[in-house]
Amino acid sequence: MANADGGAYSYSLTVFSPSGKLVQIEHALAAVAQGTTSLGIKATNGIVIATEKKSSSILIDSSMLDKVSIICPNIGFVYSGMGPDFRILVNSARKSAQAYWKMYGEYPPTRVLTQEIASVMQKATQSGGVRPYGVSLLVAGWDANRGPSLYQVDPSGSFWAWKASAIGKNMVNAKTFLEKRYNDDISLEDAIHTALLTLKEGFEGQMTEKTIEIGIITVPELNSFGEQEKEGGETGRPKPAFRKLTEEEVRDYLAL
Amino acid sequence: MNTLVSRFTSSSSTELKALDSRDPDYGENEASDITWGSLGGFGNLGLNGIPSFNIPTVPDPTAFLRLHTDDAADSSCRIKIQHGTTTLAFRFQGGVIVAVDSRATAGSYIASGTVKKVIEINPHLLGTMAGGAADCQFWETYLGSQCRIYELRNRERISVAAASKYLSNLVYSYKGMGLSMGTMICGWDKTGPAIFYVDSDGTRLKGDVFSVGSGSTFAYGVLDQGYRWDLTDEEAQELGRRSIYAAGHRDAFSGNTCNLYHVKEDGWKFIGNYDITKLHYEGSQGAAYGYDQRTQ
Amino acid sequence: MQYNGGSIVAMVGKNCVAIASDLRLGNQALTIATDFEKVFPITDRIYLGMAGLATDVLTLRERFRFRVNMYSIKEEREIEPKTLAQLVSSTLYERRFGPYFIEPIIAGLTDSSKGSQPFIASADLIGCLNFAKDFVVVGTAEDKLLGVAEGLWEPDLEPEDLFETISQTLLNAVDRDAFSGWGAVVHVITPDKVITRTLKGRMD
Repeated sequence: MANADGGAYSYSLTVFSPSGKLVQIEHALAAVAQGTTSLGIKATNGIVIATEKKSSSILIDSSMLDKVSIICPNIGFVYSGMGPDFRILVNSARKSAQAYWKMYGEYPPTRVLTQEIASVMQKATQSGGVRPYGVSLLVAGWDANRGPSLYQVDPSGSFWAWKASAIGKNMVNAKTFLEKRYNDDISLEDAIHTALLTLKEGFEGQMTEKTIEIGIITVPELNSFGEQEKEGGETGRPKPAFRKLTEEEVRDYLAL
Repeated sequence: MNTLVSRFTSSSSTELKALDSRDPDYGENEASDITWGSLGGFGNLGLNGIPSFNIPTVPDPTAFLRLHTDDAADSSCRIKIQHGTTTLAFRFQGGVIVAVDSRATAGSYIASGTVKKVIEINPHLLGTMAGGAADCQFWETYLGSQCRIYELRNRERISVAAASKYLSNLVYSYKGMGLSMGTMICGWDKTGPAIFYVDSDGTRLKGDVFSVGSGSTFAYGVLDQGYRWDLTDEEAQELGRRSIYAAGHRDAFSGNTCNLYHVKEDGWKFIGNYDITKLHYEGSQGAAYGYDQRTQ
Repeated sequence: MQYNGGSIVAMVGKNCVAIASDLRLGNQALTIATDFEKVFPITDRIYLGMAGLATDVLTLRERFRFRVNMYSIKEEREIEPKTLAQLVSSTLYERRFGPYFIEPIIAGLTDSSKGSQPFIASADLIGCLNFAKDFVVVGTAEDKLLGVAEGLWEPDLEPEDLFETISQTLLNAVDRDAFSGWGAVVHVITPDKVITRTLKGRMD
């Protein structure tokens, strides 16, 4: 019964094992640990999230692959683990952000959206007939109240705020690396370089603009009214705090 | 005297003049009497002193007028009736007390807070105003001239009963054409103090205590509770004032000030004009009327 | 709107805002109570006023209390006036085809750490927002209030002058409205305190 694979407690329904473990969640974490490495670093004036993008065949058009996703103008996700599960979470996070906008006329603070998506993931650990999500997320966001913040969400639905973190295949090494390189007054530019260096550790194959993806949070500047700048004046959408770097920008960073 | 009798024998006491281009009075001569002002506002008094009005040239003028003046049927009709009012009158040992509020409303808008709702028909007769302000004002003033004519013809003052009956027959002849009046004719005659309630439906009632208007229920509440025949003059005046205050306080369409009159054997006397808010906070002779003010 | 009566006005001053309401609760022409407040504190620097059907005023007061409490627990911060205005609008539009019969007014100061700007807004019964920079009015005396406010209001009034302006505006406007009046209450919100005063008004 209590085999290495969890035995009777390792099937579809998430049930406690006698030792108090939810083995399904541990399996989900194992799926995450098989995924490509992703990492995030919070800097003084922004955040960088980056990931390795691996194609199983050179014939795949990798420009279609999206591993860093924009949720709303001030929040972006990156993941390690199962791609299809991630898409579902991105979808529900985007809907949740829009619902928040409809109610309050502004996009959600990072913490609120993180809580929301964490509760979606938690539901999958307690409901019947479903399996936990096979992904861990890094949530990078900016809001007027807390400034830039970086969260990690796991398949269990637990989440933490980080100064820097890594998930996926190489997370242990990457975290050790980040612990060595991180300091509290790192700038965004330095953080991007640190992110690339960290990814380089244990990177399989050539690191190019095609094989990595980077998203950054930049702090929007205040205008003369003391408000965050908006696109297109008074009624315009909020100027995005989160954006993905283009392939050209990534190439330039790699060249340095 | 025959003309007076004949006036009341037919169902209609007044000539109704058709608004018609064939009428010689129509057109340039139409307003000639009124323009010269020699008839003091009664420019439509015909040769025999009976007022006549232009009426719509339709087969059934009554139905036509009802359609355009009855605002219960159609709230968007053009001829608006003043609804909000509180008026009261009561008879007692010392004469008649007449008290009214002074608010005029048009919908929720308070159009005036200084309306005179007691019409001084002559030194011995008072009429109150509820319903259509113009109707009350015109017909009660007209009643004043008829009462004077009666005095000249009969060498004695008209009784309150006769005067009120004259008015009630008059308005009855216009029944269904949109007149709106709810009035109390108050005075002192050979029989002593008297009050008659007359309205535009044709109702005419003799009684001791009346209150008319949207605030009448509130006034009755105070009035009935404090009324006795042997009230002193001061007590009676205070009761009238206190009743109008109650209506002014509770009824949205009544208020601003209270006008108080006292009719005695030698004619009516104007007692005073009282601000209802002042009555609430200070009262009229020391003790405030407001509940919070009385009870702390 | 005419069933229970009542009126509210809010005005912007220099580094302060004021919101004032009458105290009448009626049943058509009958005045039932003269101590019915229609303006409620949402945070210690934001007030929400609702004019219209009294039962909906009380229901929505609880609804907004619930929603604002949930907001501040979730977000671990106080709601901003602009966000509250959006929340009020969304809540009202949820009942687009069976509306609450109230018109809200919001008056407050924005977060002091960001400069504490005065803020006022009003909405119709299904949540169409009106962000005015001078004054907003709702209720059975709104047309009269608009006229008086247009004449009395001026920019950059200090708290005491704003109090005088809003009080005179309300008192004189409701004196021309049959369904409003019977006393008034005024709140002046400044960065360091809220001044609340109950006014004597015409009682008819």
